[in-house]
Amino acid sequence: MEESSGKTTKKHPWFWSSAVASIVLRLVLIVYFPNTLNFSSRPEVSTPITSLRRLAEGYWLKQSSMSPYAGSMYHGSPLLLSILGPLTGDRGEGQSHLLCGLAFVIADFITAILIRAIGQLLQVADIQSLKSLGASKFSKTSENFPAGDIAALVYLWNPLTIITCLGYSTSPIENLMIVLSLYGACRRLVPLAAFGLVMASHLSLYPVILIIPLVLLIGSGLDTPPRKLFLQPNHGDGYKKTNFSWRRVVLFFLWASVWALYVLVLCSISLKEYSGLGEMFKRTYGFILSVEDLSPNIGVLWYFFAEVFDFFRDFFLIVFHINILFMVLPLAIRLHHRPCFLAFVYIAISSILKSYPSVGDSALYLGLLGLFVNALADMQFSFFLFSGYLGTLLLSPVMHNLWIWRGTGNANFYFATAMAYACFQIILVVESVSSMLNHDRALKKGATPVAKKIQ
Amino acid sequence: MASTPETEGQKPKHRPIVRIGIFIIAHSFIVSVVCCTAGVLALLLLPVLAKKTYVSENALMPGSAIPMITDQDVSGANNFINELTSLNSKSQSLNIEIPRLIALHMANLGGEVSYHMFQNQPNKFHPLHFFTSTDTEANNVNQTCESYATNTVGIIRAPRGDGKESIVLVTPYNPVNLSPNETLSLGIAYSVFSLLTQVSWLAKDIIWLAADSQHGQYNSVAAWLKDYHTPSFGGFGKLHDDECHISNDIIEMEVSDTLRRAGTMAAALVIKVANTGEAGEQDALNIYAEASNGQMPNLDLINVVSYLAVHGQGLRVQVDKLVSLLDSTWLKFIGEVFETVGKIARSVNPQWKFGISVKEYVEGSATLVSSLYNQALGVPTGSHGAFRDYQVDAITMEISPKLFSNSKGRQTELLFRGGRLVEGVIRSVNNLLEKFHQSFFLYLLTSSNKFVSVGVYMIAFLLLVAPLPVLAASLFSDTIKSYVKSEKNQPFKSWRWLYPTKTVFLVHLWGAIISLLPYFIYQIPDSQPTSRLLIWASLSLFILIVLGSFFRARSAEWALLKSVTVSSAFIGLCLMSVINFATAEIGALLLVPMCLMTKPWRVAGKVQSALNLVLVIIGFPGATFFVVKSVLGFENGSSLVEFWYWVESLWAWNSATYIYICMVHLPCWILCIYILLHPC
Repeated sequence: MEESSGKTTKKHPWFWSSAVASIVLRLVLIVYFPNTLNFSSRPEVSTPITSLRRLAEGYWLKQSSMSPYAGSMYHGSPLLLSILGPLTGDRGEGQSHLLCGLAFVIADFITAILIRAIGQLLQVADIQSLKSLGASKFSKTSENFPAGDIAALVYLWNPLTIITCLGYSTSPIENLMIVLSLYGACRRLVPLAAFGLVMASHLSLYPVILIIPLVLLIGSGLDTPPRKLFLQPNHGDGYKKTNFSWRRVVLFFLWASVWALYVLVLCSISLKEYSGLGEMFKRTYGFILSVEDLSPNIGVLWYFFAEVFDFFRDFFLIVFHINILFMVLPLAIRLHHRPCFLAFVYIAISSILKSYPSVGDSALYLGLLGLFVNALADMQFSFFLFSGYLGTLLLSPVMHNLWIWRGTGNANFYFATAMAYACFQIILVVESVSSMLNHDRALKKGATPVAKKIQ
Repeated sequence: MASTPETEGQKPKHRPIVRIGIFIIAHSFIVSVVCCTAGVLALLLLPVLAKKTYVSENALMPGSAIPMITDQDVSGANNFINELTSLNSKSQSLNIEIPRLIALHMANLGGEVSYHMFQNQPNKFHPLHFFTSTDTEANNVNQTCESYATNTVGIIRAPRGDGKESIVLVTPYNPVNLSPNETLSLGIAYSVFSLLTQVSWLAKDIIWLAADSQHGQYNSVAAWLKDYHTPSFGGFGKLHDDECHISNDIIEMEVSDTLRRAGTMAAALVIKVANTGEAGEQDALNIYAEASNGQMPNLDLINVVSYLAVHGQGLRVQVDKLVSLLDSTWLKFIGEVFETVGKIARSVNPQWKFGISVKEYVEGSATLVSSLYNQALGVPTGSHGAFRDYQVDAITMEISPKLFSNSKGRQTELLFRGGRLVEGVIRSVNNLLEKFHQSFFLYLLTSSNKFVSVGVYMIAFLLLVAPLPVLAASLFSDTIKSYVKSEKNQPFKSWRWLYPTKTVFLVHLWGAIISLLPYFIYQIPDSQPTSRLLIWASLSLFILIVLGSFFRARSAEWALLKSVTVSSAFIGLCLMSVINFATAEIGALLLVPMCLMTKPWRVAGKVQSALNLVLVIIGFPGATFFVVKSVLGFENGSSLVEFWYWVESLWAWNSATYIYICMVHLPCWILCIYILLHPC
């Protein structure tokens, strides 16, 4: 993060050269160090859902006229199999998965561009609403910092994104779909938003909770300060009241069901000769929900379900998954005026609590965090969080090495870093939400500066 | 760091934990002084706090059986030794004849025999080698028969086992120049092997590896282990030219060319006989245990060996210690202080068994320092180190007889003693149902029967590094507060740390670059160590200047910069303490005072600046190397050349210490200098 947000004061050439540099870095690493940097075998990078090795295996099974889900190797979507599968095929000496790597680089790049576009839209809306509120001080800072550029560069230069891209995990595609749906909703392109949502939830299930921020975005538009501020007598003048547009929302649901139907039809065609949709649901969503694979990852569920007694398993499965759903509604009520931020919070929470998290998920929400850089200017603990993320992410492979390869540690060592990582993520979410609420409060006080508190 | 400064809001009341944090941060100076002193004190106390070792795994039952080794085995071993000696004096092509003789004897005893041929793989520095798991580079140049060395491997299949597990005996010998002590160690292994072919209690296969150490003791074992653990398809013999094989025509026996395997290894013992006589009244047993990167075998293995050696064979067990420390006066003084404190404590309450005698303390410290040094270096102390890379617990047992004489009776006695000891250890390990896991892996030895476990020595380390986050937080909060006072309307105050972070990041990037430089320096042909060192140093400086001018950092406030530096040092030290504790401890002793004290010379007083200068000079790795060397009194060779060789050995052995020095220590050192010279 440190490279980007310091430097990108304004102007686009800076952005483009930096973005291209990050792409070139990826390409160089993919082409020249294909096998030396073994990121694809790291548990932090590739999970059972996103591992390309498993995808290649599934593709191979499919090529030999077997169900790709045979043998519990592959747990992804059959569509990915059809798209990425052929790219994994030519595994000549030395250039393993080169084409897939290129696909992921492109996915990363498109994601960054979309994030930038979202950021620009948000910024325009932000400045407009601030002006109408008469809080000129805020609008000035908002103009100074191009949030979109910062967010896109944070996404592109984030080491986690780069590692995910080099680690041949399919997370870049999932991230692309999530960002695509957000972008569609921000632009109010209903079919695009619906497509992104359907694809994202088809690939990894958890983005399905994004339906709430998407509906809010489509229904009532981009992030604004709380509505009651505009209703205050002193600056209610320039503000035109926007109503919640039910027509668009209905359209969104229609499109979503059309896309869902389409995806299902495609899946069933692709799986026709081997197995049905039933097996697909069981092997993908079932696999995600029932936490079958207990191999270590940076999440907290594997350890717990390795320890828990079998007859409590179902109970705790429900408890853990409800955990995500519990937070959905209260957050939606509190942050309904800022749907994009709400989407960020949802993505962050689900990447903490999902059953097979990877650093690719963190990369996405850290990138999205950059979108709100103006509102979060006074976020607390930023340096603490930065050090914490850095420390835990470096410690994680060391602990893994100590446990698996040296044999002098044990599972607790690795799980300790996973817990620390979860704690830091939670602090990040809590702090960002609270500073966003503080920002709203500061707006309420009108021209009084945010500088009143803290530090 | 649970509560960084930013919590100080205007809210009247904080949560208790936050208040504690604020309190600690507000008194960071006192906290730093107290914690650092306590850390150093705890380190000095370690020999006092060491606990007696105990055999933790019940299944081992050391010494519960009567040694079964007989005269017959020993006389066989004597004959074997005589044959080896006579062969040594007359034959020409020893590196073929001796393996053949050993193989013949192994086969006669009833073992399955195979040769393992390998080539010397010179230790080369390869960048990224630290980060990648496997290297599949086959170095196939120079395939002449002379460059091959031959390990002879004999395997006894266990009558009671299922062939899934094995115990390894290693006897390194140099066939080109076979010395009497090597023949003696081969003889000990022979006597044990001879016994074990007959016993009925064996549940694990026995592998006797007579390792051809003409390319180094470690390399032979490492090459064998690598081939043992690499699945080979289509026959191992394919790799080599046929004429290089030892022909089996003359002697009629079955020697397999393919690598024979037994099960996974439960433990490995490297048997050696020292060639210098020991001065004491008893025969002694030296135990070497340090593997690469400060890894140690399970403590139970050492316990069993030392228990059997002391109680079974009456050997004096000793571990490596730093002899030059034994008569240092200040150590004796500290020992006396601790002894007095212990006496006072005992007079207060006889239950407190605190305090040890001065002699014990000094010896314990000498051993501890040597243990720390060997672990910190990350270079294995013997061929047992190769086993640890495959998670096999291994130690080197070096028997040093009190007077080395060639008399027959003395030799027989040694064979008996060594044989019984090895037999006892094998019998104990044979009892194991699982691999060693009960006892400690992370420990430091203060004598052969005393150890400091991870739970104790970590306290010393954590006390030492605890001031770092506190100081970082206090500097950070002070700076941010001063912002709030001075420029009211500046946003992004809490993100100000990004600029110093950029500087720190660049310096660490520089560290990463210079750690890879030796790879390119090696491409320069025919260069002397001194010139290599100088090229390295000048290139590093050049890159530093280039990086500095390209990304000219905005003149960040020194306090914030120091805060970020200190945090990065903290993260680096904590990481290193997990990878290799000893390095982190020694590094913390150097880094922590330097990081805590450093201050721009314009701001600091004269005394503090002078102190800073001294700390910075000592903190430079090269200077540290020379200071330590002159204090401990090693002198050999030109110092620059020696330093280069020292560094070379670090990366040749893939020591994490090298990475630590280049990527944590040096950058922090540079940053400290930067802060020291900061114009404010």
